[in-house]
Amino acid sequence: MKKLVLSIALAIGSMATFAQSEKFVATMTEQAAAIQANYENSYMPMANKMERIAAAEAKEWTPQYWMAYCLINETFKLKEAAEKDLLLEKAEGFIKKAESISPKNDEIEVLKAQYAIAKLSVDPMSRWQKYGADFQEALKKAEEINPENPRVPYVMGTNIFYTPEGFGGGQAKAKPYFEKAIAKFSTFKSATAYAPNWGKEASNYFLSQIK
Amino acid sequence: MKKLFTFLITILAIISAHAQTVVSGKITDKKGEILPFANIALEGTYDGASADENGKFSFSTDEKGTKKLLVTMVGFLNAQKEIQLNGQRVEVEIKLEETINALNAVVVTAGMFEASDEKKMVMLKPLDIVTTAGGNADIVSVMQLLPGANRVGEREGLFVRGGSANETKTVIDGMIVQNPFFSSTPDVPQRGRFDPFMFKGTAFSTGGYSALYGQALSSVLLLNTQDKLGENTSTTASLNLASAAISHTHKGWFTGSLYYSNITPLIKLMENNYDFEKVPQGIGASVSVNENFKNNSSLKIYGTFADNRSAINLPNYDAENTKYLFDNKNQNAFTNASYRQTYKDGLWVLNSGVSYSKNIDNLKIADLKADRIDERTQLRAVMSRLYGNNRSSTFNFGAETHWINVSNQFEQNLAALKDHYTAVFAESEMFASPKLAVRLGARAEYSSAIGKYNAVPRISMAYKTGKYSQVSLAGGRFYQNPDKEYLYLNKNLGFESSDHIIANYQIMKLGRTFRTEVFYKKYDNLVVEKGQIFDPNPYRFPTGQTDNSGNGFAQGFDMFFRDQKSLKNGDVWVTYSFLDTERYFRNYPKSVMPYFASKHNMSVVYKQFFTKISTNVGLTFSHASGRPVYGIDDDFGKVEMTKAYQNVSFMASKIKQTANSFIVFYAIVDNVLARNNVFGYRYSADGTKRYEVNPPMKRMIFFGVSWTFGKLNGRSKEADLNF
Repeated sequence: MKKLVLSIALAIGSMATFAQSEKFVATMTEQAAAIQANYENSYMPMANKMERIAAAEAKEWTPQYWMAYCLINETFKLKEAAEKDLLLEKAEGFIKKAESISPKNDEIEVLKAQYAIAKLSVDPMSRWQKYGADFQEALKKAEEINPENPRVPYVMGTNIFYTPEGFGGGQAKAKPYFEKAIAKFSTFKSATAYAPNWGKEASNYFLSQIK
Repeated sequence: MKKLFTFLITILAIISAHAQTVVSGKITDKKGEILPFANIALEGTYDGASADENGKFSFSTDEKGTKKLLVTMVGFLNAQKEIQLNGQRVEVEIKLEETINALNAVVVTAGMFEASDEKKMVMLKPLDIVTTAGGNADIVSVMQLLPGANRVGEREGLFVRGGSANETKTVIDGMIVQNPFFSSTPDVPQRGRFDPFMFKGTAFSTGGYSALYGQALSSVLLLNTQDKLGENTSTTASLNLASAAISHTHKGWFTGSLYYSNITPLIKLMENNYDFEKVPQGIGASVSVNENFKNNSSLKIYGTFADNRSAINLPNYDAENTKYLFDNKNQNAFTNASYRQTYKDGLWVLNSGVSYSKNIDNLKIADLKADRIDERTQLRAVMSRLYGNNRSSTFNFGAETHWINVSNQFEQNLAALKDHYTAVFAESEMFASPKLAVRLGARAEYSSAIGKYNAVPRISMAYKTGKYSQVSLAGGRFYQNPDKEYLYLNKNLGFESSDHIIANYQIMKLGRTFRTEVFYKKYDNLVVEKGQIFDPNPYRFPTGQTDNSGNGFAQGFDMFFRDQKSLKNGDVWVTYSFLDTERYFRNYPKSVMPYFASKHNMSVVYKQFFTKISTNVGLTFSHASGRPVYGIDDDFGKVEMTKAYQNVSFMASKIKQTANSFIVFYAIVDNVLARNNVFGYRYSADGTKRYEVNPPMKRMIFFGVSWTFGKLNGRSKEADLNF
């Protein structure tokens, strides 16, 4: 009987820990999917949830990543420059934390490129010099770490897509990047169900816009 | 057995269901105003909620015992509260304190036109400077279009609110620049030595400036050099009507440049009244090192050397149609190294620097040797401690010391001056709330050349009157050593001084800025020459008895409006300054309006970027009312004024970028209408004849191209729209 109680207790105990990580996987999978499917709504409710997970799971880089991702993308929905900077200041902290948990991570480098673009677009005139350089550098590092990451050509492509032809950009020049991204997406498998997996649909969308 | 297990599980489930605690509450700010969408979390768990639009939240948790409730919200300081979880409903009300940040903090703006990435900006980024028509890509020429600056066309320098050019100091990364301009030639204004793109931010003070700077009665022009930008390697070559240059950047940290200048093409093409014996030409080289290190430190080193030669025949006003030769061989070296280190995660910041400069003018005036040599070595260190809400407040303290040697040789006569100048300063900028900032500073100086000390207070404050508007005040006392020409002959002179008081109102909303400033400046202890016949020649070498009995005042107001919103891809600024000033100084026998002052100054700057053809065009109109004219031995009774100065300038630049190259074509037309501007008169020695001082070129057309190739930093569409 004693043995039985002990084994039950152990079973419950291990269930609890199992449940914890299962809870993490389940919650993260659900949240990551929701974040990546969001275009129209505010990212803030999802960011709030992610912030709680990030605080509880200090050894996981993905919650930190998604938190920063939400904040960065939220800035494109805002108007006020200073408000954007506040969100980006917060995002920067999460990026740094993600990096310290998982150094040399190509996805974090891609996110840093996104962060640079967000910073740049707040005040392009005085910031393009610094953040333009940061953008290029982050993507270069991402590609060095993982040449198969499809988000590297995708992010590069979007930047070129929005750059006027007079400045070396334009739709025609962006096209090969999206094609390259699509090719890489066809073989890309994210490490977990909640690791970054965005950009495929958008690549197709951009390609469809290019005549 | 199975039954027992099921039973146990059921019991557990029931227990845990019973143990759920509901936590609910409300989030407000300190005043009790509702804060929507804050994030509430139970520490170490996923449990929590987002507050709704009424600031209310509610969630349930399985956790038990004493736990911390954490509340976070962008723009507010984090808050926490311990709560007991025992199945009993928990109600909390949490008040969040606003952070003091870029969005809400007031900025001390009185007397300061500032632009930097960290602070709220008005203008003056490198692109603002190079795209301004009438500015000719020269920093100081663009500053002359700002409120507070007086248009003086016949010589270089910034004349601010009734102050002479000597009353403005140029400061790079905290270090005073001894020779910010190319060597002075009578009545031929010179350009600044520094390229606008060297600097990430430019702040132009019109008075009431910080205790961190000194030795300027009117104004400081603060230039902050670029930080390291990326790790790209690129080469830029440029060519225009006056120079050719090449520069190479290696992996972002090292840049080397070479230039050769020769204005022959310009003067061949353009009608002008220069009479060169030797057309100005020069060679120059510079290196810069810019590196960030792992231990939160960065090092910047800049060194430049230039050799410029010219010989120009200048009018000899004593006998009509005769000239004398002004032959100058100039060598200039300037080095500046600065080191920045942050400690304790940015809580402490050390900025230190060392600089050395030497300038030699091997000058011959009408075949007489008239060399000018000056040399300055300086050391400076400033320590900053951040404190308070969101580290918004700063306490700065530091010291600087300069060894200055200047001399003028005239044939066998040598006039020389050695000065060892030292200053210590401390200043605190405190935020009582996001709405109220107070800056208190003090500065003490000692100059060995005159053997005197001074100590002065500096005060400024700012109060936010609305979401977009604020008022700001600044004041203080400012000291400066007398000009070297006076110190050569009289080392018993004391510091010249000025007191400033400035009130400023500014409103900045969605791409539009309006600011207005009222000021009063009182001069004291100005150097006066005694018992001389009045000679209006500004280039004369003073020889009479001198003392510090001069004084004066300047008062007025100015207005500035900038609109980057109304016209798509367009940018308009309108500036007006009113100045009322008189002073008893130099060889003036009584208190009158100085010859460099003008009552009304205005300018309208318009820039438009055309995306389709990636071309920027700019148009600038500037107007300055007449300046007083004083003749030889003038009785200063009825004052004659020059006719008003007016200038319309135009510029256009087209950018062409491909994957690996970036080309800019530009063209400038200065004084499009070829108006004959008169900056004053020069007199024959007997005072019977006078001659107009005009710009050497009536209408100037200038064009060139700059081509960068290699790995380029990405430029987004937005970057170019906003030109």
